[in-house]
Amino acid sequence: MMSQPMVQVSHVWKRYGALDVLKDVSLEVQKGEVVSIIGPSGSGKSTLLRCINYLEKVDSGVIRIAGNPPPSDERTLNLARSRIGVVFQHFNLFPHMTALGNVIEGPVQVKKMPRSESIEMARSLLARVGLSDKENAYPHQLSGGQKQRVAIARALAMQPEVMLFDEATSALDPELVGEVLAVMRDLASSGMTMLVVTHEMEFARDVSDRIVVLVDGSIVEEGPPGQVLSVPKNKRTREFLSRVLEGRRAQLPAALGAR
Amino acid sequence: MYDGVAPLWGFVAGILPTLLKATGVTLKLTVLAMCVGLAIGTLAALMRISRNRLLSSLSLAYVTFFRGTPLVVQILIIYFALPQIGVKLDRFWSAVVALGINAGAYIAEIIRAAIESIDKGQMEAARSLGMSYGLAMRRVIIPQTYRRLLPPLGNEFIAMLKDTSLIALIGGEELTRAGQHIISATFRPWPVYLTVAGIYLSLTALFSCLVRFGERRLQQ
Ligand SMILES: Nc1ncnc2c1ncn2[C@@H]1O[C@H](COP(=O)(O)OP(=O)(O)OP(=O)(O)O)[C@@H](O)[C@H]1O
Ligand SMILES: [Mg+2]
Repeated sequence: MMSQPMVQVSHVWKRYGALDVLKDVSLEVQKGEVVSIIGPSGSGKSTLLRCINYLEKVDSGVIRIAGNPPPSDERTLNLARSRIGVVFQHFNLFPHMTALGNVIEGPVQVKKMPRSESIEMARSLLARVGLSDKENAYPHQLSGGQKQRVAIARALAMQPEVMLFDEATSALDPELVGEVLAVMRDLASSGMTMLVVTHEMEFARDVSDRIVVLVDGSIVEEGPPGQVLSVPKNKRTREFLSRVLEGRRAQLPAALGAR
Repeated sequence: MYDGVAPLWGFVAGILPTLLKATGVTLKLTVLAMCVGLAIGTLAALMRISRNRLLSSLSLAYVTFFRGTPLVVQILIIYFALPQIGVKLDRFWSAVVALGINAGAYIAEIIRAAIESIDKGQMEAARSLGMSYGLAMRRVIIPQTYRRLLPPLGNEFIAMLKDTSLIALIGGEELTRAGQHIISATFRPWPVYLTVAGIYLSLTALFSCLVRFGERRLQQ
């Protein structure tokens, strides 16, 4: 018997009013696989992740996590979400809780894990993201990169089967991007199943097993990074990539000039 | 009972015990009505933002009615009209209920605005950890509103303290009514009303200070 894909998106349509945001999207992510989703702004990348986390209802099609049918009531919905870790562009840490408080919140409140046990786990997760010395810091006392690393630890504390990243480094100052990507790399090499929406082409190339290109609500191309990024078959992929690379070049002289 | 012809300071000293006793009633009214208002206001705010249409429109109707009609009319309805349909409350509890329900309408709007001012990403983050809506509200959203709630709720408390004087209308023995009694016995409105006003002013000033102090504490 073939093992179930960890994430299985089949023929998903999503509309907002008259706008078709996802058009017949199908995608599978195997256990332990790292898949990057790239594509122009407004192409539906965030919407796809939100559908996978059941934050949005799909209009048609099915999304299964670890082979489970889509949740049918509040209880199974919450259970399904608790098994999917999400990292947001704007961190969304709970500002009234310390770093440690943020990390233990899920295990204690949702999983009813004993406090002492969850604190122990939270400490080892904070150590893993390099923030052992910040467990008592509140979010406003942390840099963007540190916040995002706490947010990753918070998601991991639920021991998710799959992690979703929605432009986890886009809101960061350039010099802080590296520390977050390093944590994500480490996570990928530990065998975590990851679905990563990103504008970081180097990361997508180096870390992902597969790249999916979403344009205008449709997957126009997918394949190993070497192929998609170097010899894209689809015209719209080529257009998107050349725009991204142009943007890179346009930024360079400005960045140098600022020194 | 009161020495109507005593020199001014002697007169004021003579009426002060009676007025302070009535101030106790005013404070008790304010605190109890505020508790009622907070309970109803929180419930109405949660109903208002819930996705359940019925709950939300019930709450809207409540807020619209009690913010759109004079408090005096509401007090009169509760004290004089409710007994006719079998709900009989004494003066004091009529006052608590009237002031509490009225404040609840304003408090509901204050709490709703505070909840809606919290970044939507907070609810999403909480839900994505697997929290139910209720748990996310209780653990993540509501605690973040406390600091924003304190100043408007402090104002509400101070307004309520002054509004208790309207209870004189149904004969409630609070501070203003106690003053009126003294005047009808002594015919000296100036010193009496100024003393009454002075007591209200001291209380409102005291509570304003407490609220500002609390605000600073919450900002740490
Ligand atoms: N709640 C909503 N209501 C209406 N339209 C929406 C909603 N959410 C997203 N959209 C629209 O859906 C489209 C896709 O949005 P989405 O956020 O998924 O794009 P994206 O690929 O993540 O873009 P970006 O790279 O800018 O984050 C956009 O046109 C957006 O305006
Ligand atoms: Mg997006």
